[in-house]
Amino acid sequence: MLFRVPGAPAAAWRWLVVLFLLGAGLPTWAQPVCTLTVSGRVADHESRAALPGATIVVLETQQATQSDLDGHYHLQLCAGVYHVQVSFVGYAPETAELRLTSSAVRDFRLHPDAVLLRGAVVRGERMAAPTTQTTATLSGQELQQTRGQALGEALQRVSGVTAIQTGPGIFKPMIHGLHSNRVTILNNEVRQEGQQWGVEHGPEIDPFIASRLTVVKGAASVRYGSDAIGGVVLVEPKPLRDSAGIGGELNLVGMSNNGLGAVSGTLEGNLRKLPALSWRAQGTFRKAGTMRAPGYYLKNSGFAEHNAAASVGWRKDTYGIEVFYSQFNSRIGILPAAHAGNQSDLLLAVGRKRPLETTGFSYAIDRAYQQVRHDIGKLTGFVRTGNAGRLQLTLSQQLDFRDEYDKSRPRNDNRAAAGRPELSYTNRTTIGELLWEHKPWHQFTGSIGLTGTYQANRYADGSRQFIPFYTNQIAGAFVIEKWQQGRWLLEGGLRLDYRDLAVRRGDRDSTGVFFVERSRFRYATPAASLGATFDPTTHLTLSLTTGLTRRAPAANERFSDGVHNGMYELGNDLVPGNAPLTPETALNVGLTATWHNNPRFNGELTLYQNRIAGFIYQVPLLPLVQTIRGAHISWQYLQTDATFRGLDLSSSYQLAPQWLLGLKGSMVRTRDTRADEWQILMPADRAEATVRYDWPDTRTASRFHSRYVQLGGVAIARQTRVPNNYEARDLLLPPAGYGLLNLEMGSTLRWGSHPLQISVAGANLLSQRYRDYLNRYRYFTDEMGRNVTLRLRFTF
Amino acid sequence: MTNSLFTRSVLALLVGAPLFSACKDDNEDPKPDADNEQITTVTYTLTPQGGGTPVSIQYRDPDGDGGTAGTITPATLTLAPNTTYTGTLKLEDETKTPAENITAEILAESDEHVFVFAPTGVNLTITATDKDRNNLPIGLASQAVTGAANATGTTGNLKITLRHQPGTKDGTATPGDTDVEVTFPTAVR
Repeated sequence: MLFRVPGAPAAAWRWLVVLFLLGAGLPTWAQPVCTLTVSGRVADHESRAALPGATIVVLETQQATQSDLDGHYHLQLCAGVYHVQVSFVGYAPETAELRLTSSAVRDFRLHPDAVLLRGAVVRGERMAAPTTQTTATLSGQELQQTRGQALGEALQRVSGVTAIQTGPGIFKPMIHGLHSNRVTILNNEVRQEGQQWGVEHGPEIDPFIASRLTVVKGAASVRYGSDAIGGVVLVEPKPLRDSAGIGGELNLVGMSNNGLGAVSGTLEGNLRKLPALSWRAQGTFRKAGTMRAPGYYLKNSGFAEHNAAASVGWRKDTYGIEVFYSQFNSRIGILPAAHAGNQSDLLLAVGRKRPLETTGFSYAIDRAYQQVRHDIGKLTGFVRTGNAGRLQLTLSQQLDFRDEYDKSRPRNDNRAAAGRPELSYTNRTTIGELLWEHKPWHQFTGSIGLTGTYQANRYADGSRQFIPFYTNQIAGAFVIEKWQQGRWLLEGGLRLDYRDLAVRRGDRDSTGVFFVERSRFRYATPAASLGATFDPTTHLTLSLTTGLTRRAPAANERFSDGVHNGMYELGNDLVPGNAPLTPETALNVGLTATWHNNPRFNGELTLYQNRIAGFIYQVPLLPLVQTIRGAHISWQYLQTDATFRGLDLSSSYQLAPQWLLGLKGSMVRTRDTRADEWQILMPADRAEATVRYDWPDTRTASRFHSRYVQLGGVAIARQTRVPNNYEARDLLLPPAGYGLLNLEMGSTLRWGSHPLQISVAGANLLSQRYRDYLNRYRYFTDEMGRNVTLRLRFTF
Repeated sequence: MTNSLFTRSVLALLVGAPLFSACKDDNEDPKPDADNEQITTVTYTLTPQGGGTPVSIQYRDPDGDGGTAGTITPATLTLAPNTTYTGTLKLEDETKTPAENITAEILAESDEHVFVFAPTGVNLTITATDKDRNNLPIGLASQAVTGAANATGTTGNLKITLRHQPGTKDGTATPGDTDVEVTFPTAVR
């Protein structure tokens, strides 16, 4: 590895070099022509972040220099052969041979070295391995700016990510127009499994546990399974503390619009006497009252959440083990208008300028509401061996309880007094994953994984059936290999999953006699990916990815049947006349160009196409389904072929030393190629611009530093690309486009020796009335009016 | 050696882990939703005052929400012109065995319920004749008065709505939620 020469044992090369130096190198030193420049950039091998202050030494001449703020260095040398050693604290030093005949550019990518990382330096190991896949992260200040928001709401900062919303409390992340069963969320490395099929079920995750949110845009099915057709969201906590002592942070958030208050605290420690042992405890309370749309309060729109997590880890250089447990609890009010029980009420409620029933401000949550609890227990361990590489085992157990209370309480007083939910679901999922990262071999790195999942989904006796009983068993194996040399990184992967879905569905025949229908679906679903990354210059990276995924239909897509949260939903296999669902096959291609580490302009542009044969989607079902209570907003699952094409842009331009202009945008065009029309319920085009001013930090003893102010505007177009004859296919046309104005300012001040971050953010400053096509409340009500958020973060 | 032993034990754990999780209960079948109340059947019977054959119409959806849609028998409620009827409503939950009598429950909680009769396109007036303890109408018992016959070939509708108004019943239809809403094609001829 010392010499970047493929296919030759290092020792032999060392000898050759010595011979060469003795034979040819020395004479050239005698008559120096010392005007050749060697320059380049020192970066982290994994994240490609610049490493400022790295030391670059020419071993032969003992010339030395340091990399600048952008990681760049310059040296002047004579022609000849040299060995250049680059070192940086926390990274393995690297020595490379240079044969200089003319000026040259040579970049270094240093590998984080865990052994050197004792002390206060953050362990670099957790860095995401380089991948050809397009990823975006929210961390640091950008993540801080989302504190207090739900996970799906925060992720909307990433271009290409939108959310399907159900009022102010429920945000379902949508990547490149895909969501629910097609977006995998990893909560601290555990694949989140619950009732995630429901569009009105937000992810049961406390975003405060994350120090970083990463979105993999586009299929990542080889690594994460066939549910990752649309992309992956990684909720990543900080690694456990590795220096002795106790630390933590406290976050406080307050919002003016709905009186949201959030408190989240983390305490972590590492024992001086047992440096291998680290622990962390974290807890969050979040409560919001009635949301205010411009001009009125939205009835029953509050929510309350309390979450806790703890982990303990034992870590040595060659092995480690960690136990993690978290619990998420939330209660979310459902708008009564959205829960209208009968056709006349419903048609009265749809498309009104303001809902029939409005209210004053209150923290009370009445019926209808959802009560959700999600528990995760995880055990993970790794062993690093000298000759085999790294072996990691992760076992997790999840329990998800979802109770839904209808708006109308039971008519029978005894049943009402029992206070039982109308729908009550339990999902229990056990996942095991064994991952072997083999030792780098020549230019190859890679991993092989085995996974197994057992999942049982049930509903409580006496509660209404909506999703049947099902048991899902999945076994999967994958291999991912990377080849990296010079400016090239190639990545390829293969995966095979075997899925066995056994369903027991209770139903009544037309005479009302109860029966249980058993069905079983077994599929072997392959996935493959191939990608390449190329750096034409030190400031530009191009990557191309392709992927093929097959996804077996989930139980809800086949068999949902009934009313929940006031809406009727019907699975494809129960729609009269429909053929049973077949697996989806997705073929996707993505091209990303990234301009990075430039002094002024930086950005990323992604173009993609995702072709999904057998695309399973939900459409409004009209005429509305009638039950004895009347008509309900109704949805059904259907299957077609769809092609998604789109682009994401995210860029910044340094206007002047302290002024930064940011520009983001995304668009997606989705055709239903079977019906030859636009696909329903796709995100509209969106653009966002920000101007930011950062105060220069003076050395004077000001208590405030890192002061900034940021003005931003968001514009979302009307979705005009909808299926033909839309009036007859949905209750309401897509709403008009809208623009919002936001302003944020913040600073960090010293509280004793600890930093206290303060920021105030105003969203929808003009209190614009608007509705969003992807909000399920859009039939009934406007979105949130002006909202001012105060955020405090104290670290110690 | 230790390495392969480790690998083997880890593999065994991995394969075995899902088995720990598989409970005996996982092989159970779903049960009928006995505790979840439903109303599957609504029957409105009209007896002419002063004698004659009673007429009735029934909405029945024995498999509950979804599945086979509810049916109305007979297809039209046909009433004689210029006649006064005594009406009674009967509500049942036929998903239970034996069928649950919802009428009695409504009567027991009559201060929380009200039936609303809304005829359209038919000369018919219906008024509740029973009262709850607050002297507010219920509607399980009613009086229906027909007028002139429908024009030939036309049929109107009678929408019967049961409003559940715990603590808010004030004699109007507005408060509360809808427990039942059925629309019977109705004609006077």
